[in-house]
Amino acid sequence: MSLASGPGRGGSFIEHLPPELRLVIDKHVTYVQSLDTRKDELEYWLTEHLRLSGLYWGLTALHLLRRPDALPRDGILEYVISCLSDSGGFGAAPNHDPHILYTVSGVQILAMIDGFEELDRRVQDIANLQTDSGTFTGDEWGETDTRFLYGALNALSLLGRMDLVDVDKAVKHIQLCANFDGGYGTSPGAESHAGQIFTCVSALAIAGRLDLVDRDKLGEWLSERQLPNGGLNGRPEKQEDVCYSWWVLSSLATIGRLHWIDRDKLRDFILQCQDFELGGIADRPGDMVDVFHTVFGIAGLSLLAYSRSHESNALTHDMPTLAEVDPQ
Amino acid sequence: MASHGVPRVRGVENSAKSEHAKQKEQEKIAKYKTLNDTVKTRIADKQYTLDTFHHTSELLTENPEYYTIWNHRRTILLHLFQPIPHDDPSTESTSDSAPSPVPSPSVQHIHDLITTDLRFLIPLLQKFPKCYWIWNHRLWLLSQASLLLSTPTSIDIWREELGLVSKMLARDARNFHAWDYRRFVVSRHEQQTGKSLTEEEFAYTTKKVMGNLSNFSAWHYRSKLIPRLLDEREAGKEDRKRMLDAEFDFVNEALNTDPYDQSLWFYHQFLVSTLQPDASEKIATELSNRDRVARLEAEIEAIREIEDDTKDCKWLYQSLLKYSAILLDVEAAQKAVTNEDLSVWMLQLETLDPLRAGRWTDLKKRLNM
Ligand SMILES: [Zn+2]
Repeated sequence: MSLASGPGRGGSFIEHLPPELRLVIDKHVTYVQSLDTRKDELEYWLTEHLRLSGLYWGLTALHLLRRPDALPRDGILEYVISCLSDSGGFGAAPNHDPHILYTVSGVQILAMIDGFEELDRRVQDIANLQTDSGTFTGDEWGETDTRFLYGALNALSLLGRMDLVDVDKAVKHIQLCANFDGGYGTSPGAESHAGQIFTCVSALAIAGRLDLVDRDKLGEWLSERQLPNGGLNGRPEKQEDVCYSWWVLSSLATIGRLHWIDRDKLRDFILQCQDFELGGIADRPGDMVDVFHTVFGIAGLSLLAYSRSHESNALTHDMPTLAEVDPQ
Repeated sequence: MASHGVPRVRGVENSAKSEHAKQKEQEKIAKYKTLNDTVKTRIADKQYTLDTFHHTSELLTENPEYYTIWNHRRTILLHLFQPIPHDDPSTESTSDSAPSPVPSPSVQHIHDLITTDLRFLIPLLQKFPKCYWIWNHRLWLLSQASLLLSTPTSIDIWREELGLVSKMLARDARNFHAWDYRRFVVSRHEQQTGKSLTEEEFAYTTKKVMGNLSNFSAWHYRSKLIPRLLDEREAGKEDRKRMLDAEFDFVNEALNTDPYDQSLWFYHQFLVSTLQPDASEKIATELSNRDRVARLEAEIEAIREIEDDTKDCKWLYQSLLKYSAILLDVEAAQKAVTNEDLSVWMLQLETLDPLRAGRWTDLKKRLNM
């Protein structure tokens, strides 16, 4: 089982938007199912280096759409295990080198399909990636980044083995990445960026240390990511993009500030980015769809519906079938 | 993977790919797969030769995101860095002669491999400036230079990187990979030479924001450099105060030009945040409460002046409310801002920025309005 991302096949244009914006659930399911049938496209082969993450994105989208069986469990399990390397960790595809980015995808997929038995003897390899300064490298070559730190804590917490790493040291490292604007960067000194904020805030949430976040300051910065068209950007003075519907939105949810943006406008923006004919979601209306923006768009909608369903003036009419996700 | 900003093509256009185009695509796929198989087989056979190295170049030029191939490339380089076996008579004679400053052939050989590879990466970086793996490989090459070459040679190589990264930032002034890389190169260069580059870097941020006031990446870097700069200058109380005044003047002048630019407001907020007694980063030290009140009142007054002829900018009201709250914390008996002012500003803010209505409701509660 494998998945190509990449070019959507055609689709609707902004001037052809249907009068009522709806989530085209069946189309998205078909789109995700079709991703592995595109071996006659060069793009399929050029994206092999992220196949396992692609599978995670597609499968998560299907779970959120309440269609978890739309991809066969046996095939998924077999493929994921074939990405396990002898030295530990998962590569993006069979015979690709192990890396934390794909290891967390592999662990997340196995968590979703209840397939952990294979893994028990591998967890030590993830823990070994922690450095003296508390952060994590991506692999044996030593590149460090808060993305890797989050990936390691995510995978280990799913496996129930947080005891294998020095959580306090990791937390200290995250604090060094904090900036005056309340956000976080890739490394100490780096500019705040919504993607890195997601990794740092989520890692702190996993470590049970959200008390260290300046919620008002960070919430202010995050809420300023919303632009007049409803979409969210990743940094000041940049363009909106559907994937930030997840990085920004889930961070806002984690710190209890989801109500600081206009949720209806964001929902409409994401819905406009759909390919209404063939399924899939793009970064912006009218652009090419891919599985990455499809899952983060759907996850964003799911989080919005969840937050609304917990308020008295529930406005969930557009997404009644989405699975709830836990904002903590 | 994630395609960004690629326009969607209409279904008919795409499915109606000509037979010829389909044929072409199949040929490309076959060629790519053959190349991939060649590299994999050679690596499996431990053929860590220049020839295999060139095959990885070809594959990475086609697909620089293919991280496993970068790993193979490093494995090959580590093998090629090994001393050349002594079967070359010219090598023998050089090493027999008296020690000279001329690098030994194997060091020269390593130097050439590293610099050739650094050059190979430049067009790739220009084409794929956001590819993590290329930046990562470049840093690895530089760390090898520090490890295997003489200190002056490796300093030269690191120094040249600053020129490269300036060029990359001239192409895209917000590329955060390039900014992170710049900070890393600067700190390694400082470690190796023992000489601080803080003054030069500070001047660089001035140049970048003068070129484009919206460049928040440069404002951010500036916020990190100032405390270091003052420490290195061993600045006294007066120097520090002068620096703070100068920064306020600098950003206020920019705000007068464009009060809608949030990069400027975030920097302005940074300066204000340094005034607070519990600030983690400070510019001026030994501030009395009177100094704080004076500064806050001056900033509020400056914003009110912009407001006189700009009525539709939400940042003005947001900042007025934010700074008033700080002022009230510092000096409850202040007279610069009245309750009526606060109400008027809040109403303006709610009208101009309905997207963040929930945030303004929370703010009203916090200000007891
Ligand atoms: Zn995106």
